[in-house]
This record gives sequence, structure tokens and C-alpha cells, in this order.
Amino acid sequence: MIRKAVITALAVLAVVPGCTTYTARMNDTGVYYYDGEYDRAMDELDELVLSSSNEDCCLFMLERGKVRLAAGMYDSAIVDMQGAERRFDEIEGTASVGEMLSTSIVSEGSKEYHPEPHEKILLNTYLLLSYWESGDRGGAYVERNRVVRRLREYVGNFTAKDDPPLDVPFARYVTAVLYENEGMLDDARIEYDRIAKIYPDAVPWTPNSHLTEIAVLAEMGRAPVKVSREIRGYFEKVNGRTFGCFNLPGSAGQQVYPVTSSFLPGDAGLGTVFTFAFPEYVRLPRVAAYCRPVIDGVEAGTAVTLDDLEETAMEEFRRDIGTILLKSAMRTYLQLLAQNKLDGDAGKIAAVVAKVFSAVERADTRSWQTLPAEIAVFRMEVEPGSHEVSLRYYDASDRLVGESAGRQVWVGKGKKQIAWMPGPP
Amino acid sequence: MTRLSVALLCVLFLAGCAQEYTKEIDLSTDTAEDADYTSSDLLLISDEMITSIMTNGFHHQYAAAHNGQRPVMILARALENNTDEHIDTRMILDKIRTALIKDGVAQFVDDKAFDQALDQLNMQATDLYDDTKAAKLGRFVGAHYIMRGSIGNIRKMDGRETRNYFLITMTIVDIETLLITWIDEVEYKRASTKGSVRW
Repeated sequence: MIRKAVITALAVLAVVPGCTTYTARMNDTGVYYYDGEYDRAMDELDELVLSSSNEDCCLFMLERGKVRLAAGMYDSAIVDMQGAERRFDEIEGTASVGEMLSTSIVSEGSKEYHPEPHEKILLNTYLLLSYWESGDRGGAYVERNRVVRRLREYVGNFTAKDDPPLDVPFARYVTAVLYENEGMLDDARIEYDRIAKIYPDAVPWTPNSHLTEIAVLAEMGRAPVKVSREIRGYFEKVNGRTFGCFNLPGSAGQQVYPVTSSFLPGDAGLGTVFTFAFPEYVRLPRVAAYCRPVIDGVEAGTAVTLDDLEETAMEEFRRDIGTILLKSAMRTYLQLLAQNKLDGDAGKIAAVVAKVFSAVERADTRSWQTLPAEIAVFRMEVEPGSHEVSLRYYDASDRLVGESAGRQVWVGKGKKQIAWMPGPP
Repeated sequence: MTRLSVALLCVLFLAGCAQEYTKEIDLSTDTAEDADYTSSDLLLISDEMITSIMTNGFHHQYAAAHNGQRPVMILARALENNTDEHIDTRMILDKIRTALIKDGVAQFVDDKAFDQALDQLNMQATDLYDDTKAAKLGRFVGAHYIMRGSIGNIRKMDGRETRNYFLITMTIVDIETLLITWIDEVEYKRASTKGSVRW
């Protein structure tokens, strides 16, 4: 019977997806991407897209789209990002019966990836940049309209207090520049005003449609990544209400969340401490503290912060942390209950299966990992024509720590040109 | 025996699911699949615009003033797309142009053939071609009117429901005077709701 149990366990192990976390699978790609080795990053992502399960495929396509944009492969970037966007739109607000079952048993990572609100806004922002860089102004204007709609959908509902960490000023800035290019100055002003509430130094004095300008948008650092952590917790009942109590690393005291779902069966196992996998967001160290754009060989000034995407991601996660904790804990808790309820041979099988699950279970660590931690902006009036733009990166002690490759940017008379620069880690 | 029957039914069901299914769709009864711009919208917009141009009758007035000639028009490169969808708006213009030519309402200058025609004419003006049989320079017909327009939308999403309002405006403008000879609009609003469960 034990042999049967082992065979069953091995079979389960074979079908359980996501034994390696998303963060681990993206490790090499991240190293290549932030080293500027786009070809190798794309090779890695080609493999990952081909070998990925349906649950992760669109996220890998999103990552590849971003790398392709950095590599100047605009049409391919559009194909990848639009493919991912289409699927994300299809599944938004829907539920899959199979996924509901699998996430109750296996892991949150066994369901299709649903992007965070800021990721959806950024998806269209990078699509806008892809169209813009490819010279398809009409396509860029359509994406501009989509970005504005997404901002309204995902940020518009927040109160003024919530705005700063959850807004995406980078998206607003890019749309404002396009509005200026079209002479729609009132629309540009609306977007700049929203940015000015968070980063007043990042916006121009006044929107205009007569100055010839370059807006350098410099990406700095890597977005935080989620890693799988084992944490301890238990459920308890107080005054008829059930609570989940957890010890989170880095948090002072115990985190207590009320269980609103009626999914918790009876009072069995209450008070029993158990260990479960939980995704923890980790900030990644940055090489550079700030950057200075070099335009036509001259260091033109210092780029100022336009968007702290690291904080946006962390804040979104903080808001959902109770739900994520309870779901992760509930899954492990139910597995333990099932194991204890079964007797005899079935119990032995359940025990082995539970151990296998415990061994392979990793928290859902998926997130868009080729995003930057921060985006800085520098805007300057230039003569119409072609200009070479590069970036010099400095650490907190003002030491030069790197320089980007130069790129040619062409600006028409009275127009604004965006010079988007993917940055170092 | 019962188990065997259930298993057989399952196999038959799955086999049915695996079969590819294709059918022709009658364009005259084509309906929108969702709240986005679809082929039925293209037909709706172009049909209404064609009817409007026909009933406007400016081509009759033009013919009366120009010895029975039909007005010569040129299409804008595309309708200005102010929507949040990537739409090939040239298809709307092309469809209207086809109908107007077929019904003898107007003649059109092919804006897209200009470069190729110019290359050909320049080539035929060289010694490589027989002068008597070569196409002659200087016979391009200038358009009197330009057909242009814009398409915009307002989309609202609430959970699984999407409401999408479209407004399409088209004009025919006299190139000499910039006076609008004809103008009309088509508007519609559609709502669609996604199923809450997917498989």
C-alpha cells in the first residue's frame, strides 16, 4: 500500500505545475535584460513562452514584449503585448471552475495570471511607446486613448489620499506629451496637473505646442520581485468570529485578519499552528541612485523622479495582503484537515500526498519583472532635427557607475519627442 | 455495464468537442459579437453614409452645372481614428467609394496609385518606350472634392459589462472653397456582458 502511495505521490508530483517559482524561472532573463543583452534575454523568453503552461504564457509574452521594445523590435513587441492584453481582457472579471478547484488544492499559481492594475496601465503605455517608436502615430494615439481609459478605470475610483502610491504618472506623462503634439493642450494640462500633485518637479511649466523639446524618460532599477516564504499561522475563533493569525517576516507583532468566507469547515483544527507558503515582495538593490541625460555630447542636467513603480507595486500588494494570506493559509489548512480525517491506507496516501504538496508548494510569485523600480524624466528644448541621447548613471555618492548606449532621436519643429531609455538594475 | 455506457458517452462527447466547426455567415444578418467595433459596424456605417450621399443629391446639381459630368473626388488617407481601438478606418472609405463608383454617383482619383503612376509615366517618357504608344504626361485629373471624417468612441466598463458609444462623422469638402458639400453622422451604442464563468 505504501508503494501505491509513493506511486500516487509521484504521479501527483508529475502533474503539479509551477514547482519552480516564476521569479526563479525569470532569473536569467532578468540578468541578461538589465545587462543590456537583449538577444540572450529574448532567447530565454522564447524558451519560456514555448515551455510555459497556459497560466503563465501571457505574462512571459508581456516580459518578451518589453524586452523587444528595448531591443528596438517594435512590431514584435506590439504582437506580444497585444496578444497578452487580449487574453487579460478576456479573463478579467471572470472565473474558471477548473481554476477554482485547482487553486483550492494546488496553488494560487495554477490559475491564469491576472495582472495588477498598474501593470494593465503600463501594458498600454509600452504599447503606445512601441507604436510611437515605430513611427505609427495613429496607432500611438489609439493606445493613448486606451491608457487614458485604463487610468480612469483603475485609478479613477481611488480617493485623493490613495492617489499618490497607486497612480501611474509615467503613463500620464507619455499621454500628455502626445496631447501636446496634437495641440490638445487642455487634455495635456489635465494629465500634468495630476502628476504635479505627486511630483511637481517632473512636469513642464506649461503645456505648449510651439516649443521643440525632447523628453527623456529614464528607467532606473528593477521592479520588486515576489519570493516564496514559509510562514506560520493558525485560525482561531473569538466571540463566534474566525480569525487568521500570522507571523509575517519583517512585521512587528502578529497580523490578524477576519475570515469572511464560510469555507472554513467547523471548528476542527482551530488553534493548531501550521506552516504555509506565502509570496513576499522583495525590493532589489539598485546600481544607480540617479542619472544625467547627455544630449549631443553634453551632460544636460539631472533627471527627476516621475514614477516610483516599486512603491506602486508594494502598495497594491499591501492592500491585498489579507486576502492573499487567508487564501494561502486556507489551502494548507484544508490539506491538513483532510489528512487528519482519513484513516488507514487512505490516510497514509493522504499523508504522503500532503508531504509531496508541501514539498512542491510554492507561493504565487508572478509579477511583471522587467518593469523598472523608478522612472525619471528630463525635458529640454532643442533645435529641430536629429540629436544623440544617452544617460550617465551615478550612485548616491555621486560616483559615475555606468553609461547607456547613445540613441538618435529626431524632433520635428514645434514637436515633442520621447526618448525612452531602458535602464540598469 | 452502466460504467461502460458513461465512459462511452464521455468519449463521444469529447470527440464532438474536438471536431473543428466552420460555417458561412450571411453578412446581411451579421450581428455584433461584442461591444467593440466589428464587421457589422463597417456595414452599418458604410450603408448609412452611402444612402445619405445618394439622397443628398449634390452630384445631380454638379452634373447639371457641368454638362452632365460626375464630380471627381479623392479619399482622405483614412478616417481620423479617435477611438481606443485599432480600426482600419480606410475600409469604411473604400466601401463607400466602391458603391459611389458602381452607382455612377462620382469618379474617384486613386490617391494610393499616385506614386506608382508617376514612376510609370517617368519611365515611359524615356527612350525605352515607343512614344506613340506610351502613356502621356500631364493628364492626371484633379479632384474637386475630398471625402474625409472621423470616428470616436466613449467606452465605459463596469465589472463584466462594457458599454460603448460610437460616433462617426463624414464630410465631402469642396477643395476650391473648403465649403462642406455634404455631411452626416452615424451613432450607436452597444452593451455587452461577459459570462462570469470560463472553461
